Amino acid sequence: MTSHDIRPSEDELHAFSDGQLTPDRQETVAAWLADNPEDAARVSAWQAQGSAIRTLFAPYERRGAGDGRLLKPVRHSTFGRRLALAAAAALLFVAGVGTGTLLPVSGAQKQPVLASTDLPDEAHAAYLIYASEVRHPVEVAATEEAHLATWLGKRLSRTNLKVPNLGSLGFHLVGGRLVPVDGQAGALFMYEDQNGQRLTMLVGRNGESRETSFRFAAVGKVETFYWIDNGFGYAVTGEVPRELLRKVAEECYRQFPA
Amino acid sequence: MKTPSESSFEGQILALLPALRRYARSLARSDAEGEDLLQDSLETALTRRGQWRGLNLRSWLLTIMTRRYRNGLRYRTRHPDTDIEEALNVPAPVAVSDPLERRRLEVALNSLPEEQRAVLMLVVLEGCAYADVATMLDIPVGTVMSRLARARQKISESMQAENIIPLRRPK
Repeated sequence: MTSHDIRPSEDELHAFSDGQLTPDRQETVAAWLADNPEDAARVSAWQAQGSAIRTLFAPYERRGAGDGRLLKPVRHSTFGRRLALAAAAALLFVAGVGTGTLLPVSGAQKQPVLASTDLPDEAHAAYLIYASEVRHPVEVAATEEAHLATWLGKRLSRTNLKVPNLGSLGFHLVGGRLVPVDGQAGALFMYEDQNGQRLTMLVGRNGESRETSFRFAAVGKVETFYWIDNGFGYAVTGEVPRELLRKVAEECYRQFPA
Repeated sequence: MKTPSESSFEGQILALLPALRRYARSLARSDAEGEDLLQDSLETALTRRGQWRGLNLRSWLLTIMTRRYRNGLRYRTRHPDTDIEEALNVPAPVAVSDPLERRRLEVALNSLPEEQRAVLMLVVLEGCAYADVATMLDIPVGTVMSRLARARQKISESMQAENIIPLRRPK
């Protein structure tokens, strides 16, 4: 019997990828996959998904300082519970100081495990709010570009912040403003072409020091390219052809020194 | 605070808590929501302890949690004022490498219907056998398979690589 006679069903492919087939069937399907790259690709994509999901949630498999409390049969009002938790926290703190083994319950590390970057959402919101603004689209106009760069550079704690020049793509600087990005000071630059079509470029601090690829997000007609590079998050947003927006993103990427 | 003995009902749940916390978070849209779902499910489990037949406690708890998740309205009204809980629940370091990829996966998961997400997580994260998932959710195995297949299909679609362009820094 060749592997072509034993085409596995869709369910069996899933079962294979989850290791839920009987050992001999698992072997037969493996042989089928060796000859059928399309099915093999799907199975390996599912397995990659699974492993990404496990990695994503693995940090949550842990004990919490208030776990014992969770198993008290009767719970009082939420407020009462909060008081109890506060008391528990205080106790833990005292105990920690006493024994010199401070449990890590400080608020300083409060950042959620999934510190998801909301860059595209923030960029989208900033674009919607400011690009449609007729009278005050920016705080500092392009005529004061040097001041704009120094001011926003200081707020971003970034020396030599350069405002990207998009002249080669037909967009000139309107100006910029200070905006919140991820709860910190960020910079929004606005550009306009000769038809008055606007684009925004958002820069904010980002805890991640690595470099990412360009990502793309669209909400209706408003599209955003965003990326992270060396501790900063960047996003360009506009309602222009995607290819043009991508060139803008590449141009900004090129002009911002790493 | 008295620690329940390991063999007691509470003691056994306590031992399962880390896994339950992870499963709760995998169904939720935020840390706060995950923690609320965990608490809500434990509350339910404690009040219904008489219904536990002494068989697989973990499956019983996962079932309760899945049901609470699907009737989600009550636990969702409790937060978001979670300051103290959050301070107590110090997270471990993030394990996923690319932050944007992480976000894309979250968005993809959040776009799944609840019933598909639950099946996917029970299989992929909790390692449950298809037949066990069917028993836990009281649905035929065929339904488990179709929900699993649809969940995987949807995630693949929303994670598609066409939305990613490699960075180039032309000079």
